[in-house]
Amino acid sequence: MDHPTPASRLVTPLHCSHLRHKGMYVRAEEDPDLTSVLGATAYWCAKTQKSFGPDGDAVSRDACQHGRGCCG
Amino acid sequence: MASWPSSPTLLGKSTRRLDGPAKASGRATYAYDIRRPGMLYARIVRSPHAHARVRAVNVSAAEKAPGVRAVLPLVDVSQPDAAKAMYQGDEVVAIAADTEEQAHDAARLVTVDYEVLPHLATVEQAMRPEAPAVFPKGNVTQGSLEEEGDLAAGFAAAAHVVEGTYSTQVQTHSCLETHGCVAEWEGDRLTAWVSTQAVHATANGVATALGVPQTNVRIITEYMGGGFGSKLGPDFEVVVASKLARQAGKPVKLMLDRKEEQLGTGNRPSAYAKVRAGVDAQGKFVAFDAETWGTGGAGQGAGFPLPYPVYVWTSRRRRHRDVYINAGPQRAMRAPGHPQGSFITEVVIDELADKLGMDPLELRLKNLPPEEPNRMWGKYFQMAAARIGWSRRHKTGDPAPGPIKRGLGCAANRWGGGGSQQTRGHAEIHPDGSALIRIGTQDIGTGTRTVLALIVAETYGLPLGAVKVEIGDSRYPFAPGSGGSVTIGSVSPVARIAAEQALGQLVAKVAPSIGADPLALAAKDGRIFVKDDPSTGVTWKEACTLLGTTPIVVDSQWEKGLSSVGTSGVQFADVEVDVETGVTRVKKIVCVQDTGLIVDKLTAESQCYGGITMGIGFALYEHRILDRNTARMVNPNMEWYLLPGPSDIPEIDITLVDQPERGVVGLGEPPTISTAAAIANAVANAIGARVRDLPVTPAHVLAALDRQREGGTL
Repeated sequence: MDHPTPASRLVTPLHCSHLRHKGMYVRAEEDPDLTSVLGATAYWCAKTQKSFGPDGDAVSRDACQHGRGCCG
Repeated sequence: MASWPSSPTLLGKSTRRLDGPAKASGRATYAYDIRRPGMLYARIVRSPHAHARVRAVNVSAAEKAPGVRAVLPLVDVSQPDAAKAMYQGDEVVAIAADTEEQAHDAARLVTVDYEVLPHLATVEQAMRPEAPAVFPKGNVTQGSLEEEGDLAAGFAAAAHVVEGTYSTQVQTHSCLETHGCVAEWEGDRLTAWVSTQAVHATANGVATALGVPQTNVRIITEYMGGGFGSKLGPDFEVVVASKLARQAGKPVKLMLDRKEEQLGTGNRPSAYAKVRAGVDAQGKFVAFDAETWGTGGAGQGAGFPLPYPVYVWTSRRRRHRDVYINAGPQRAMRAPGHPQGSFITEVVIDELADKLGMDPLELRLKNLPPEEPNRMWGKYFQMAAARIGWSRRHKTGDPAPGPIKRGLGCAANRWGGGGSQQTRGHAEIHPDGSALIRIGTQDIGTGTRTVLALIVAETYGLPLGAVKVEIGDSRYPFAPGSGGSVTIGSVSPVARIAAEQALGQLVAKVAPSIGADPLALAAKDGRIFVKDDPSTGVTWKEACTLLGTTPIVVDSQWEKGLSSVGTSGVQFADVEVDVETGVTRVKKIVCVQDTGLIVDKLTAESQCYGGITMGIGFALYEHRILDRNTARMVNPNMEWYLLPGPSDIPEIDITLVDQPERGVVGLGEPPTISTAAAIANAVANAIGARVRDLPVTPAHVLAALDRQREGGTL
């Protein structure tokens, strides 16, 4: 069963649909001064519920893009 | 258009938590307390190695062990690239048995053939050119650059420059209730009692991971014992428990032990910064240049804001790289990135003040942006300075005789803490006078239950106990996860809107019965009456009887106007340091913090107490220590992973700045941000030497004093 990817400023259609981060579930108005915190976001995979994907490699915004074997 | 009351009866007062007695007496039911008929107990077999390939797993002896009902391999050894443990504690096999002891015994019967692989235990090891390539895309990211203004011109204008390397350690969440759940299937429907900060996100995550409809998943979190950002999804444990329960046909309880908790359920990443910063002769910050790095463990980032976005710098540049090591991955932790950025920035500022020969408070005041409702640091610095007695501050280095030196330091914080427009609520008023508010949020220990009851009771003019609050269930109307300090800004407006709409319907019933215009009526002190003629009216109970047999039911959604984004605050620390032993004792913390409209002063203050206590831990005690040879954690327990105890908590002086005109604003994160920075600056003010690395342990203090004797840290 497919579950839609929650909306996110960081996860785009270029990314795996299983890429997740806290901001998807804690969506709120943002302070524009605080939107650029370099790399502070922790990511996980919706399929494994871990910070590693089904292929054993780490989950990240850079890594979880179409082209990675396990990307959905 | 809903609004907050101009003269509230309940809001803004100090109200004890509704669930305080239940928690204090042990009646409150946490996920850890759930017992279901026929429940099994699960145990996870974990890698003892920091990096290893799992070549084979033999579970045959475990499957035959007494009481074992389900065994679930968690790695696929037919996929050698994926069948790897990336840190000590990575999961290999899960077992469910009739008793905890049987599950432990069976776990010991699992044999795993590991091929131990090269590992990285420290940032320094990972950054070496000859480091083994542990992570496919490299152990160190290429990095990113942020730049603003003309840095060369900034340094050219600098009268004084500070250069140094600063660091903060890895801090674990250390939730008192560990991660885990009880999972139970009834046919194709799953109910899980989970220690989570997000019932809806957990339902969504479990459904996605298991490939089942979300309508078949119910998550319940009546009470939970701490999350601090580490429990914002279902986590691996909930998925594993659900699979074991399905396999065994029985409910399964899987709660992690303390060691598992420390190894693999998240942490605050470390931070390192090589900084060069300049100030001109008048005390203006003209340049900030930093190379930064840090580790979020295995494959996760370690970003933090730098310079911390409170002060104005004419020019700034910052290059950041993430470093991966074989350790448990980071997760969001109370104000992700902010305590690290605050510590580094605020310590640099104090060093610039010393170079300039200026009071560090005066230097800060010179470099603040114009005041706005969420940028009130200038005012708060002066308020807090008066409360701590800043006028008695000596120059860096306490001249008093003897080994005990006293010092003062300060730092600022900021956070967002807005509301989520996705939030929904449900209110009911029944003919018997009872009232209900239902929202699918969760009380993570912050007093959400009490806050919701206060808002609804205030709206209806009833006592607090007259309102029933239902939260902590994914079947309830949607609310976001309790993270990012968004809970109060999300649920409070929804509760107020729902209650106002429900009251409007009730008033419409009452008005004809007393011959009044509905708009002329008010609800207060258990009555509904004519505002201009309070003697004309009915009691709440009498009003509700007019409903006949049909309750009022209202479904509401979040609207703008009842909450705001952005907080500002400052903290001052007063410390004593023994220069013979290196031991630091915090004597007092002064906190001035704005928080929009205060709903419950007591729980708002509690947020500050908790955040500051956590900040003291970050400043002085907490440190995930990995063996540099094996990358195994040497202190995965509560004995050697040091948390502040009651005797370590100083006098804490809190001034909450009520801003009713802004509506509610979240307060979970900001109080923990600036504590460590203020303490570190106070330590330097006491001993006359800089400790640039957290935690400020006795060893770090004595090392700083030694460096100072050799040539100085100032």
